Amino acid sequence: METPAILAFGFYFLVIVVGCFMAVGCASLVRALVGLVATLLGVAGMYLLLNAPFMAFMQILIYVGAICVLIFFALMLARADADGDEADPAPAPRTFKGILAAMLPGALLAPILMLHPTASKLIPAEVPLAELGRRLMEDYVLPFELISVVLLISMAGAVLLVWERRDK
Amino acid sequence: MNATISFDSVLHVVLALVGVAVFVGLNGLLLVYAERKVAGFIQRRPGPYEVGPQGILQAVADALKLIGKQLVRPDRADPLLFWMAPVLAFFPVLLLFLPIPFSPLLTGWDVNLGLLLILAFAGFNVLALLLAGWGSNNKYGLLGAARAVAQSVAYEIPLLLAVLAIAFQEGTLSLSAIVGGQGGMPWQWNIAVQPLAFLIFFVSALGETNRAPFDLPEAESELTAGFHTEYSGMGFGMFFLAEYANMIVACSVCTVLFLGGWKGPFLDGAWWFLAKVYGLLLTMMWFRWTYPRVRFDQLLNLNWRWLLPLGVLNLLATAFVMKL
Repeated sequence: METPAILAFGFYFLVIVVGCFMAVGCASLVRALVGLVATLLGVAGMYLLLNAPFMAFMQILIYVGAICVLIFFALMLARADADGDEADPAPAPRTFKGILAAMLPGALLAPILMLHPTASKLIPAEVPLAELGRRLMEDYVLPFELISVVLLISMAGAVLLVWERRDK
Repeated sequence: MNATISFDSVLHVVLALVGVAVFVGLNGLLLVYAERKVAGFIQRRPGPYEVGPQGILQAVADALKLIGKQLVRPDRADPLLFWMAPVLAFFPVLLLFLPIPFSPLLTGWDVNLGLLLILAFAGFNVLALLLAGWGSNNKYGLLGAARAVAQSVAYEIPLLLAVLAIAFQEGTLSLSAIVGGQGGMPWQWNIAVQPLAFLIFFVSALGETNRAPFDLPEAESELTAGFHTEYSGMGFGMFFLAEYANMIVACSVCTVLFLGGWKGPFLDGAWWFLAKVYGLLLTMMWFRWTYPRVRFDQLLNLNWRWLLPLGVLNLLATAFVMKL
């Protein structure tokens, strides 16, 4: 049981890392999007490894099937060619800031996980769908609703950003 | 899932995938022949007639021609995206067949989230069309891809609403359990309880599989061939096979959800399932040669003004009845 799991973990890890570098490094935006799709698929694979097929399929259905397709649509409307402005190498300070921003979530999450490690199981148990739904709507209903507020705020924020641009 | 992985289960899934690949290949030949014959009879001409008795070997000859043709890539097309698209269109479709219960015993992988698996991996088809349209550096390809995305994002919503109504009613996402919840007689099938959901599902499935009258991404009279204009030989062949495979999956899911799956009035088994699936496929072909292609605004109006509100109402009514 052990070896296939480690092999699968290695494979998904490789897919995620290669996808990430494609997503941030490719000059062509469409290729970068393909990298993003690979990363999301790798994460879906990790969910399968954690014995959470519902999460894995939802990840594919929502992120690959809907969000990436919409990003693609936006790219297509913008006619982002591979030899446009954004293809030039980024200036060094911006790269530095980018790396810093990428490390921030890790720096925030790692101490919490290290201080409060959750008990892990040898073999992950699959949570039945009905149980998942019941927990979300009863025990965790407040965080569940708060997530939708976060989405609403980010959507409003996106609209606001575009609005300011238009004034200038 | 990894916890339960054993050599047997992996072997089972691999064998199922090989079986599905053979099934899709043979059905490709069969459906091309059927489609051309149906088109011929509807237009009062014999259809393919020369190769073999009644033209029965025409599809084989076409397949051999496709395999033999040279693969050409346009000069300034992106090689990675251009060659990735047909592969991405064809191979995920094979996965879609895994959870489909052909008979009580004949299921590739009886996963309890089968319906979700099919809906999730069906999304790859749009992605492949987009990559093909973008990667081939061709204005017709790009227009076809833009239409494909607007269409499939729109039609996915009523499709999901119709599927959700059945999932609510049966309380499961497992395809075998949904078949198990229906009886053998036609009035015990879900279509008798949910006729509106069936209609919404079937129309949305036509939109999702890019079939006429909703075949705008490849409208040959306006866009030459839309997203696959630049593909020759098996590049085109894989899109073609993927389209037929998607039709079979859509009809199979429709059979499972609404028409009682492998159950029939007598002698339950795979033959009932196949008979219903081929009946739906023939209906799809019949639609193609009966209705003219809709305009793009008509396509989107039909979806956003009719299918979506009807789907929501149907879902609310189902939830209400379930609660009572």
